[in-house]
Amino acid sequence: MNYNLNKQKEEGKNASTFSSLKMFLALIKEEKKTLWFAFFFIILNAFLSLFGPYFIAHTIDTYVAAKNYHGIMLNALILLAIYIVAFGANYLQMILMGGVGQRMLFSLRNAVFNKLQSLPVDFFHQNKAGDLISRINNDTDKLNIFFSQSLMQFIGNIITMLGSAIFLLTLNFPLGLAALVPAVLIWIFTKSTSPWVKRRNALNLKSVGALSGEVQESLDNYKVIVAFNRRDYFRKKFEEANEDNYKTSVDAGISNNIYLPVYSFAANIGQLIVLGLGIYLITKGAFTIGLLIGFIAYVNNFYFPLRHLAGLWANFQVAMAGWDRIRKILNLENNLTVVENKVQEENPAYIEFRDVSFTYPNGKEVLHHINIKLERGKTYAFVGPTGGGKTTMASLIARLYDTSKGHVLLEGRDIRSFEADERTRKIGFILQEPFLFSGTVRENILYGNENLQAYTNGQLAKLIHESGLETLLGRFEQGLDTQVFTTGDSISLGQKQLIAFMRAVLRKPELIILDEATANIDTITEKLLSDILLKLPASTTRVVIAHRLNTIENADEIFFVNSGKVTPAGSLEDAVNMLLHGKRAS
Amino acid sequence: MFSILKPYKIWIIGLVIAALVGNGVNLVLPKIIASTIDSYNAGNYSLKTLVISFLVASSLIFIFTYLQSILQTYASEKVAKDLRAKISDKISQQSYSYVLKANPSKLLTNLTSDVDSIKMFVSQAVATIISSFFVIIAISVIIIHLNWKLALPILAIIPIIGGTFFFVLGKVKVQFKRSRENIDRLNRTINESIMGSSLIRVINSQSIEFEKFLTVNTSARDIGMAILRMFAWLIPIIVFVSNIAVIVILALGGHFVVQGSMSVGDFAAFYSYLALLIFPILMIGFMSNIIAQASASYRRISEVLNAPVIVAEGKDESTLTGKIEIQEVSLNYGDKPVLKNVSFVVGAKSHTAIIGPTAAGKSQLLYLLSNIIKPASGKILFDGKSIDTYDCNTFYKQIGIVFQDSVIFNLSLRENIAFSGEASEEAIQKAIETAELKEFVDTLPAKLDTVVSERGSNLSGGQKQRIMLARALVLEPKILLLDDFTARIDRKTENKILCNIENNYPHITIVSVTQKIASIKHFEKIVLLMEGEIIAEGTHKELLETCPEYVQVYNSQRSTSHYEL
Repeated sequence: MNYNLNKQKEEGKNASTFSSLKMFLALIKEEKKTLWFAFFFIILNAFLSLFGPYFIAHTIDTYVAAKNYHGIMLNALILLAIYIVAFGANYLQMILMGGVGQRMLFSLRNAVFNKLQSLPVDFFHQNKAGDLISRINNDTDKLNIFFSQSLMQFIGNIITMLGSAIFLLTLNFPLGLAALVPAVLIWIFTKSTSPWVKRRNALNLKSVGALSGEVQESLDNYKVIVAFNRRDYFRKKFEEANEDNYKTSVDAGISNNIYLPVYSFAANIGQLIVLGLGIYLITKGAFTIGLLIGFIAYVNNFYFPLRHLAGLWANFQVAMAGWDRIRKILNLENNLTVVENKVQEENPAYIEFRDVSFTYPNGKEVLHHINIKLERGKTYAFVGPTGGGKTTMASLIARLYDTSKGHVLLEGRDIRSFEADERTRKIGFILQEPFLFSGTVRENILYGNENLQAYTNGQLAKLIHESGLETLLGRFEQGLDTQVFTTGDSISLGQKQLIAFMRAVLRKPELIILDEATANIDTITEKLLSDILLKLPASTTRVVIAHRLNTIENADEIFFVNSGKVTPAGSLEDAVNMLLHGKRAS
Repeated sequence: MFSILKPYKIWIIGLVIAALVGNGVNLVLPKIIASTIDSYNAGNYSLKTLVISFLVASSLIFIFTYLQSILQTYASEKVAKDLRAKISDKISQQSYSYVLKANPSKLLTNLTSDVDSIKMFVSQAVATIISSFFVIIAISVIIIHLNWKLALPILAIIPIIGGTFFFVLGKVKVQFKRSRENIDRLNRTINESIMGSSLIRVINSQSIEFEKFLTVNTSARDIGMAILRMFAWLIPIIVFVSNIAVIVILALGGHFVVQGSMSVGDFAAFYSYLALLIFPILMIGFMSNIIAQASASYRRISEVLNAPVIVAEGKDESTLTGKIEIQEVSLNYGDKPVLKNVSFVVGAKSHTAIIGPTAAGKSQLLYLLSNIIKPASGKILFDGKSIDTYDCNTFYKQIGIVFQDSVIFNLSLRENIAFSGEASEEAIQKAIETAELKEFVDTLPAKLDTVVSERGSNLSGGQKQRIMLARALVLEPKILLLDDFTARIDRKTENKILCNIENNYPHITIVSVTQKIASIKHFEKIVLLMEGEIIAEGTHKELLETCPEYVQVYNSQRSTSHYEL
């Protein structure tokens, strides 16, 4: 399955616009009522503010020209009343539309995060962490800016424009039509340039992602950079990314900025047309000075929001480019779905590999036709050279991947037919690379463990004592309350492995897999860990992947995994012989 | 903050001039409209004059606004690029402990969002504010000139709108700060869910992660709404106030026209100028917000830029023999002592092992020897001279270090191995053979030129560690520092590798942190480190006789020792 976001194929243009729109609509489904209210106030507000110039034009023609001061004052008061109502409508439109924008962003972020959670491990291996993070943080932020700042103005401006256009056409149809000619040119211009602008923005966002990816890689690996005296590596790589970002940003900036001058120019031409043609009409007696002043105000009312839209249009293009990138995530589907069970064995082994082959997305086959059975309550060891396929086998048992051919059976059922919840409760997998969440040791060892979440520290201490984990906890300065961080060297790799071990043991799995999970722990502590493993209920199946022989000496059965093939080793001695003399390909 | 603009003076001046000319010409338009209407009333109207003057003015506006936008794009992107280069340059001079302490993800924010807000300041605020002030002043002068009695009440809206902005933004600032902090939390949640993706799937804790995210996202929404509730007042109030000005023009201006002290053309011009006046006031208001954000960002960036750099002053370029003396070295991590008064000597061309339990301070000791961190007290001497007296270029060429955690760059295998720069094909081949990577490399489609991925996820743990070893060996180092590098390598390969090192790099000094006694039994010296203190040192034989802790460690591994070669 191709999960690489930078290699997703582009959909057809129409399909993409359509599915974009559909996704957007799904996000605002619940907002229908609010949207109607908001539209009402937007229209009311637009109407009232458009009514102003008309009313003023009327006042000028009837009262100012007639020098009727009383009439002027009366109309001024009416105008004041109109503006007060407009004020209220304006406020309500803001708060309603703004609320819709905020909630939309909220659901969008939730949708993205949810999707991310639903995707398999493969997805995270095929994409750079820095790029993913940039996609989610940076690109949703672009949408945020659009939703929270621009959307409302966008709609408000469009309505003001439409209203102005209607006023222009009803006040004087030919003059109105003439005044709108530049707008048509703007429309053509915008339509023809938008794809180009969007493309430039997309390139820019991509280079922003690359830039943060570069920084992330270098800073996370800073000690190697220092120790190999390659400070220039970071500088050079960053310089390249920075230079590239500069170029794409300038390109994007210049194309984003083309709209405002063009729109302003069109607005001015609109005014010119109205003025010239208007005066001509007045000489013909078909128009009045008051109406001309009002008309110019409407032309401004039409073109001013258009100028504003020019600024927003760039925002919109940036947001659309961001949306496209996010949509690529939303469009991905998890290929590890729960399937219907087709096999049901009598007296099954706990785990069975039935003719399993596995090929990585890059086309490299790492397991070939594996057939093994793991019985309940026994301890198995997978040994063999690195790259032989041990971790892959463990990953298949934990269903981090699905087999390419053949089946993995859990309790005689296709492992793919188990719900994730049930499967993960049965199978505990201590990964090669331990991961900690920022927080306390307590939070980390209880992570994902609903049963123990409510335990007080006292109760937990008792449980830890009973499980024999006490000594391990003693390795942390402040016990359960020791603060740990995802990155950095505040605790050692060995300590991280201890936490991962405690986390897995406290979950009381039926099958526990240790994938070189104690590789960086000293041998005395490791001894303690094997004692703890022995204390697990007798029905617990254990799978140990390790290179240290003493780690696997308690195994009931040893499998020698090499070049994607599995050979059972009769005894420890047998295994050692294979290790030492067996043909190796890694 | 304005000081960062200094080197770009010419750009900024050009930018301001373009903005001023563009905006200046813009002000002429209402005047043209007014005089056209008046000249029509007076009977000397000429269409040609109107069209020519209007077209000239519009074209000038077009040219100068586009010029302004091009200049501001270039200027702001230049400022951003140079600032980023400056920051990254500064970071690249810093020590490892600085980067750890400053936190890579915070530095990433400095290089991205913080620079972006300064970019925004340059691209939008600088020219806008200057030209806005100019426009406000110019319009004030024009309308006062037109009719000061009508102008003064109109100009009264400036302080009212300014005051509203000041009040609302003052209140919103607190929310902005909260919002920023919340975004940081949001990012952290996302990052951890990406980095811990395997664990989350093994435990099936996706819903827990979603709950975490939901909490933070909900508060993001609530803060957004709180900001909205305040901002929702802002625009309506401003519109209302400017509408009041419209009424004032109508009532008072109408009065003047009735009186005969003002022409209808001027009366119309007042409306146009009012529209032009509101815009810059709004702009200044919004820009004040951008300035506030930019100055906060600038403060954070300054912290990075002003952090002192420990300049490596060492000039000594002499060749190391491999003799290392560690004298009374102590090291703390925060308040926690990691190493306490550690002293021992590594003989030239000797092999020394450091063993000890998890979190004993073994890795830190290697970090000290490779000078990527500094001790709190005590001395580290190479050939009798302090580690700091050595020129870092020549020093690092003679020290090869293999870290415990695998670091693979998103480069070709060749570039990963020859990471320190110059390395001959011969040296690379020798390093690969020594690290037992040859067979593996031969299976790759593009051999050494295969690009390996960021977290090296298409390599096995043992392959990554062997690449790390080859990276250190390719230097032909005098001293090889190994941090538990065989943890993920099988016994047979390990033995082969150790053998290869001894054969191919015969005069090398080795300091090896390890858990396995079997592979270091024959070393000249074994140092047993526990909780930051040296418990014992000596040969395997000596330690077996004198040190009960060592015997305990040995026994924990002995059960399988009869399988050793």
